[in-house]
Amino acid sequence: MDFFQEGFAQAVTLLVNRDPATYSAISATIRASSLAMAASLLLGIPFGYLLGYFDFRLKKFIRIVVNTLLSLPTVFIGLIIYALLTRNGPLGEAGLLFTITGIAIGQTILSLPIVIALTATAVEAADRNLRITLMSLGASSFQIAKSTLWEVRLGILAAAVTATGRVLTEVGISLMVGGNIKWQTRTITTAIALETNKGEFGMGIALGLVLLLIAFAVNIFLAGLRRRA
Amino acid sequence: MDIYQIQDIDHYYGDKQVISIDDLAIAPASIVGLIGPNGSGKSTLLKLLGFLEEPTYGTILFNGREKSSFSNGDRFKITLMTQDPYLMHRSVFDNVAYGLKIRGDTKDIRNRVGEALDLVGLAPENFTRRKWYELSGGEAQRVALAARLVLKPEVLLLDEPTASVDADSARLIKKASLQAREEWGATLVVATHDWQWLYETCDSVLHLLHGRIFKGGLGCAVYGPWRIGQNDLLQKELEDGQILVAPKPVEGKQFAVLDPSRLKITLPGKYPLLEWNIDRLNGFVTRLFLERNGDTVQTAIKVAELVITIRMERERVEKLQLYPGKEVTIAYDTRDIEWF
Repeated sequence: MDFFQEGFAQAVTLLVNRDPATYSAISATIRASSLAMAASLLLGIPFGYLLGYFDFRLKKFIRIVVNTLLSLPTVFIGLIIYALLTRNGPLGEAGLLFTITGIAIGQTILSLPIVIALTATAVEAADRNLRITLMSLGASSFQIAKSTLWEVRLGILAAAVTATGRVLTEVGISLMVGGNIKWQTRTITTAIALETNKGEFGMGIALGLVLLLIAFAVNIFLAGLRRRA
Repeated sequence: MDIYQIQDIDHYYGDKQVISIDDLAIAPASIVGLIGPNGSGKSTLLKLLGFLEEPTYGTILFNGREKSSFSNGDRFKITLMTQDPYLMHRSVFDNVAYGLKIRGDTKDIRNRVGEALDLVGLAPENFTRRKWYELSGGEAQRVALAARLVLKPEVLLLDEPTASVDADSARLIKKASLQAREEWGATLVVATHDWQWLYETCDSVLHLLHGRIFKGGLGCAVYGPWRIGQNDLLQKELEDGQILVAPKPVEGKQFAVLDPSRLKITLPGKYPLLEWNIDRLNGFVTRLFLERNGDTVQTAIKVAELVITIRMERERVEKLQLYPGKEVTIAYDTRDIEWF
């Protein structure tokens, strides 16, 4: 149990004393996950919306594929991205292996199915009277689509919350694509893995608490958005 | 010119025919009531009149024009309030202002929204900022109505606007709807089960049964099982043992309809003719309702499990001295029973 007390005390010390290595890991975590979330929301919301809003022939099949991708293991994504970005790989020229951008690409693949699936579900679950109400008030097809998106904003926010949690806490992609390079691609989760391997449990717990603190801050922000919405 | 002209429309959901109207015209600034049991096609007809659905066959003309030749202006002249109107997840103000905003008509919008809320009996200072979840059922219904009234529509289509609200909200909804006609000459088409509203305020009442309009009152559908009786006619035994006789249906038709305009009401034992094709059913009056014209009375008669509503001349009702509870005999010509 000493680990927990030690870890809690150390977390406070690291944050208060502005420990450079810790802050570097926090920065890497926030940069990679922000990039990944921006990309997955930009791509995932429109795609999820189309998937939920329209009825077409392959809709059910695509839903099954998207739902299957929810179970993608992070190490598998890490492996694929590594294979693509490695010097001899098809995208090796881009020089993205062991970079924050490389991690963000992997994390986008991780979070995209979450955003798509939850957005599509939110749109499908919209009241069936919504469309006819908007039509009866004179809305055009474009205005109906826009207003429907606004009506399901809480569902989309829930998708963002879930995806953010997944991206912030994954370790497989960061470790394999990022390489856990100190001062550069070492994120909080890869740092925890390293400290645990070194037997520095207290430090690991301290970093874990810092990660939870970041997640807490992100969720306070999203809760604020939710209240305003 | 009539605001609506309906010509030979047939509307299907899949294989099921839900509307079949040969000819119907609605005069501008009139109030038309629609009555009929659940599933009779009232909501569908309102959606067709609102051009939210297109009839499978036939045409509906609005001010002499088909939907294909509508301008934006025409589209904006008609609005429908569905039975469970959806309030958007926004403030009351934003809900009421929505239609004006999408029309780009935002001049003096605060005052206009306020006036519309006043019209439905909601004080703007208390309600404009409320969220959609801070309203009672009756208030939500009135906000939905205000969202339509603020548009000053030429046609206001209302689908059971008072079905699920408290008495006070119902009164305010009726009052506001009538004001729409008085203030800017709106044409109202109202589907409702509120008999009082129908017969006190409507200029005409359309009786709908299985998507068809019956002129002489509310048609009564009779479902099987049937058995084959004498002269190759079908017989239906009602719950009290009386027998209803009908001709054989054409293949594919499922239920028989007693058209009220062809029924004759007499007192028991008073019907003199005994022709082979005339049959009788005994029942009792359950309700009498004087229509707005003052000349005709809607008379509801219960025969076993059937309720048949017949429009009768007031003089005839007086002559027969009808009152709720009085026993009567309905005479019908078996050949007049139609199959649908």
